[in-house]
Amino acid sequence: MADSSWLNTFPKMDRVDLLAIRKYLDSAFRDFSREYGDNIELFFSPMLDFLIWFEKLLVRSPWWAVLSVITALVYLASRSWKLAFSVIVSFLLIGYFGMWEDTMRTLSIITVCTMLAIILGVPIGIFMARSDRTQSVVTPVLDVMQTMPAFVYLIPVVMLLGIGKVPGVIAVVIYAIPPVIRLTNLGIRLVDKEVLEAATAYGANKMQRLMGVQLPLASPTIMAGINQTIMMALGMVVIASMIGVKGLGQPVLKSITNQYFTLGLFNGLAIVALAIIFDRATQAYAKRSQKHLLDGHNA
Amino acid sequence: MKKIILIAGLLSISVAQPALANEQCGKVTIADMNWSSASLIANVDHFILQHGFGCEAELLPGDTMPTSISMIEKGQPDIAPEIWSNSVKQLIEKGVSDKRLVIAGESLSDGGEEGFWVPQYMVDNDPSLKTIEGVIAKVNDFDHPEDPDHGAFYGCPAGWACQLSAENIYRALKLNEVGFDLIDPGSGAGLSGSIARAYERKKPWFGYYWSPTAVLGKYKMVKVDFGTGVDLAHFSSCLSLAECADPKASMYPKALVQTITTSGFAKKTTQGFNYLSKRAFTNVQMNSLLAWMEDNQADGDIAAEYFLTQYEDVWRQWIPADAAEKVTLALKAR
Repeated sequence: MADSSWLNTFPKMDRVDLLAIRKYLDSAFRDFSREYGDNIELFFSPMLDFLIWFEKLLVRSPWWAVLSVITALVYLASRSWKLAFSVIVSFLLIGYFGMWEDTMRTLSIITVCTMLAIILGVPIGIFMARSDRTQSVVTPVLDVMQTMPAFVYLIPVVMLLGIGKVPGVIAVVIYAIPPVIRLTNLGIRLVDKEVLEAATAYGANKMQRLMGVQLPLASPTIMAGINQTIMMALGMVVIASMIGVKGLGQPVLKSITNQYFTLGLFNGLAIVALAIIFDRATQAYAKRSQKHLLDGHNA
Repeated sequence: MKKIILIAGLLSISVAQPALANEQCGKVTIADMNWSSASLIANVDHFILQHGFGCEAELLPGDTMPTSISMIEKGQPDIAPEIWSNSVKQLIEKGVSDKRLVIAGESLSDGGEEGFWVPQYMVDNDPSLKTIEGVIAKVNDFDHPEDPDHGAFYGCPAGWACQLSAENIYRALKLNEVGFDLIDPGSGAGLSGSIARAYERKKPWFGYYWSPTAVLGKYKMVKVDFGTGVDLAHFSSCLSLAECADPKASMYPKALVQTITTSGFAKKTTQGFNYLSKRAFTNVQMNSLLAWMEDNQADGDIAAEYFLTQYEDVWRQWIPADAAEKVTLALKAR
């Protein structure tokens, strides 16, 4: 041991010091959770109420009512009979294979996560596009959010909020929000400077430029971001179920621990079906609204 | 001259010995399960097999169900140091009768303790919570996080074998009828996280857990008495199975916690196998080791080193003297 120098062994921190740091941070976090946990829970309780209400709405309504509403929404968004028909077929299959309730639970939590991600993500993206300094601060944060393994932030989230829907939503949103922020930022930054100058020349103020020029022109890119966000949120369903979120993730988890290949496959396919429906509907909607925009422009 | 020959002889022995042992033992894979006690045992096995018996030991991450299945189907990993046999009873029995698995011995000689638990501080306030009748009477105290009309009972994570027994006993005790909702915590981390959260804020908690574990070492809990005693026959014929039409309440029997190896390993090295059959921890030892791990946030390998240096008299009984000397030498070199 004595002859080992820093040249052949890495000069690492003493284990005792490292341990002291780990213990100090852990107990600091524990104190924090003891002190503020209840208040933080209270802060999230409206969201929890909404989540429970929305899930009950989807689970308890008769299946044909839910199915017709979803089909109607998909049709209104896409104006495509083909897509609406495939929605009916895939949901009937999901129901027939006994995954209706789990699918409804997943649908409800993913819808809330996506809405939350859009409500939070688009404004952050706009701020990022406005200032290079904001961008230089937010970008590394987004990198961390996308690459930090979910389990790492699940530990403190469970400690603070327990297991269940709210920590699940937080975990999913942290993971799924970066694309919508990044692509909103990118879309706005890519808007032609000359178009903006023209708008300024017509006397448009900052807000009018944003709402009337930048956002509409950036909308295809933003929609692509929203799309990615939805996909990533669905991908997180299994991780979320590890902290007690009910839905399609739980049977998948069960099949992983028990090597039930078919059970896993069926529930995985149901997640895929949801993802494809979400994706096609939003994309068709984006395409349509873009076309509408171009038509209006030409006329 | 004599001295030189002696030294040369010793040298040749010390050189030849590992090579010989290598031929016998060769490559050995050990399942490093994802909970503290099993990881500690796996690391102890790793060190002793590697240095004491000259095996080329390697740790593979594992979990009860996937590891057991992989051992039966693929013969890999060779050793599962801590299997709670109740949870994979049929699988193990079939593996043993098909001559694919061999039970080496008990890794926890006192056996594991499963049950439904409430925190100590709740019992201090209200001693009636020691029994299931008391818990049922206070169903409204056990706040459900998402449903104010129900009480919360934290079950065993989806896919774990204890999910079956916990759910059957939950039904047998009619906990659903009195208003307890069975919450699936989703994972072991979710379950222990919910205990930690409740404990830090002195909130009510009621659910399934097992001992010896770091969690129950750190957070003092009281096992709820069902007043039924242990009905071993009914437990193994009904409560531990998926199809249990008419479950009757029973306390959990002492859980057999065993070391299981593949039959290939048992044939390959009798010495190593003998070690595994002797290697057993008492719950007192294990609890104090787990508490040490928790206090020091130690991983399995550091805890194994701690165990090997501090509990020398314990592990020396497991292996022959010559192997023990080699382990001691290897420990000094670290």
